[in-house]
Amino acid sequence: MSVTVNNIVKKYGEYSAVNGLSFELKEPGVFALLGTNGAGKTTSIRIILGMLAADKGEVLWDGKPFFACDKPIGYLAEERGLYPKYKVIDQLIYFMTLKGMKKEAAKKAIDYWFDRLDVNDYKNKNAEQLSKGNQQKIQLIAALAANPELIILDEPLSGLDPVNAELFKSVIREEIKNNKFIIMSSHQMNTIEEFCRDIVILNKGKTVLQGNLNEIKKGYGRVKLTVKAEGSIIELAQQCGLTVTEETPNGCSFNVQSEEQAHRLLNMIITGNIPLIKYELREPNLNEIFIEKAGANNEN
Amino acid sequence: MRTKGWQKVFSFTLRQYIKTKSFIIGTVVVCIINAALFALANILPAAAMSDGNDVPSDYTLSFEKVYIIDETGLISDEDISALAASGIPTERSGKSSDEAVAEVAKAENEQAVVVFSANKNADGEISSLNAKTFYSKAGKDGSAALSSIMAEVLNIANVKSAGISPEDYAKTQIPITTKAVEAGEAELNSYASFFQYFIPMLISGVLFLLIFAYGSTIAQSIAIEKTSRVMELLLTSIRPLAVVIGKVLAMGVVSFGQFLLIIIVGAVTGAVTAPFGIIGQIAPLLSDPNSLISGMPESAAQVGIDLDKFDLAQAINDITAKITPVNVILMIAVFLIGFVFFSLLASLFGASVSRIEDLQSALQPYSLIGVAGFLLAYYPIIFNIDSLEAGSAKANGVQIFSYYFPISSPFSLPSAIILGQLDMAQSFIAVIVLAVFTVLTAMLVSKIYETIILHNGSPLKFKDMLKIAKNN
Repeated sequence: MSVTVNNIVKKYGEYSAVNGLSFELKEPGVFALLGTNGAGKTTSIRIILGMLAADKGEVLWDGKPFFACDKPIGYLAEERGLYPKYKVIDQLIYFMTLKGMKKEAAKKAIDYWFDRLDVNDYKNKNAEQLSKGNQQKIQLIAALAANPELIILDEPLSGLDPVNAELFKSVIREEIKNNKFIIMSSHQMNTIEEFCRDIVILNKGKTVLQGNLNEIKKGYGRVKLTVKAEGSIIELAQQCGLTVTEETPNGCSFNVQSEEQAHRLLNMIITGNIPLIKYELREPNLNEIFIEKAGANNEN
Repeated sequence: MRTKGWQKVFSFTLRQYIKTKSFIIGTVVVCIINAALFALANILPAAAMSDGNDVPSDYTLSFEKVYIIDETGLISDEDISALAASGIPTERSGKSSDEAVAEVAKAENEQAVVVFSANKNADGEISSLNAKTFYSKAGKDGSAALSSIMAEVLNIANVKSAGISPEDYAKTQIPITTKAVEAGEAELNSYASFFQYFIPMLISGVLFLLIFAYGSTIAQSIAIEKTSRVMELLLTSIRPLAVVIGKVLAMGVVSFGQFLLIIIVGAVTGAVTAPFGIIGQIAPLLSDPNSLISGMPESAAQVGIDLDKFDLAQAINDITAKITPVNVILMIAVFLIGFVFFSLLASLFGASVSRIEDLQSALQPYSLIGVAGFLLAYYPIIFNIDSLEAGSAKANGVQIFSYYFPISSPFSLPSAIILGQLDMAQSFIAVIVLAVFTVLTAMLVSKIYETIILHNGSPLKFKDMLKIAKNN
């Protein structure tokens, strides 16, 4: 299968919620849809799911327009939703039968996920009796139990404790292994970095960066330098034309123009007999790229 | 297809709703109240009708002595002998009323003193007669019967003193009823007149409660689904219109089922309490009211009572004759179409809110439409009561308008059909008008609904929704 998002535009009056978003999922794996709050991520997801009509553009499944309700799609929405007064098992069976599963098959699949996410005790409880984290697990079951080909996860880890966040991550890893197509939106950049192959960063509806994450990073080069020494290195850095971007107990960080600039500073530290504790020259991480792209546009 | 999967929404909504505590408790309470009302409606009229016939024919008085103190001079020795001969041991007392009463008060067996007295006007003519019965403790059970007999004895003695025979007097006591009926219109007896305004008022009230209350429940259900974000999950599997259709139909079945249950409980209660109430008394007359005429009783009071029963039986027969299969189908159709119409409106306003706290204010236009329809069905009946009470079956102009106007016809049309206010052709036209209007509403709602169901922010106003419909 493949999913193609082709130049979609959505306006509310004069305000552009999404402006010309395009990307393609051709291979299984995780695609990240990133952006600041209000950048247009959820609107884009709703358009992909057919809940909202785009003013322009199209979303294709295997090259053809589609209704989300006719395709095997699992969705974990950013704003969680369960019927508060109904039993968890009843509503999950309902959601699965709406997806076309037979009742018995639905029960079997749900039982597997109850075990996998360790929520067997809550099966016959009303949703309102569950903690927020456990409600989130039930929602994840609703998204995955019908064994969808395309999974859309909008902020899947928000509000989870570290133990449950790790549990969710292990489930996502499993789904990747099972060759699922996943679109993930998250503000936790380390999680995105852990899973995603391709990304798009939105800002005020516009695409500000798009492509394969490794290639994007390579494109930047090793431009992030962190140095920790027993003496002050700030004067030496200034002599090399470097300005401190961040100073923490773990050392000083610099943006370098080239690797030679960083090596020059290293030479000066060694020559000056300043005991060196840490020297790290690396590519920028996703968080830094995101802040640069989304933050810079916000400042505009 | 935009409605694919509505059956699953229907069965889930139905199963979950009838499992809720509020529904179970509400249904049980309504059934209990209904059973109590049916029992009272059966028993109380019978009690009221028997007021003029306090002495049952098979009742035997067991007073050992009844003393008569006649201050009117109307009671003859012959009357006292007749009483004694009928099994009531009666004799004149030579004592004053105070002495006689004091003596009876001390008696341990069944004794009574009856004091006949008269009030006179300035010219010395009798203006009123009194028959006071003072009974001993042991005579309490028979006191009402004795008092009633003594009143009749005094009455007959008074009639005889005027030179009229009891037989002639009985002939003068046949009741006279009055009616003013427009020439060419159906003539109604007093019960049929009563039904002409009571039934529409009752039916319009019950239908308003059913349709409106369940409509509000649908709005609440849609709003909860939207505000709890369940709708977003549902919309990955099903189109919004299918959600609305499934919900509306499920609540329609719940509503209709609950209504049927209430009627069944009422019918069972009526059957169980029949021997103790008016149903048992008039049941034999329902199949053939004219059977009463041939066996007209002699007593004037009895004639009055049975004429009442005859009128009631005839009025009920007139109505039951109109409960034909076609009329029943028409009434169910009106109920269901009306239900769908108001539920569609309710679901639209329910979908316009992003916070459940905004639901009440968002439902105001729905409430206005519903209440306006109900008042249009209800108030014209009140304004027509004088004419209906006078025996005319004719509906007034506003009533007729309410039968055809779609927002009021769900409340007024069923009673118009059952009371024969509309003929078959007119009933069909009214139902078709309602159905067409409901289909147009459904088309409008489907245009707006899919857009507003994911709207977040301040509640949408009705004019905003109309704008959305226009743009779509």
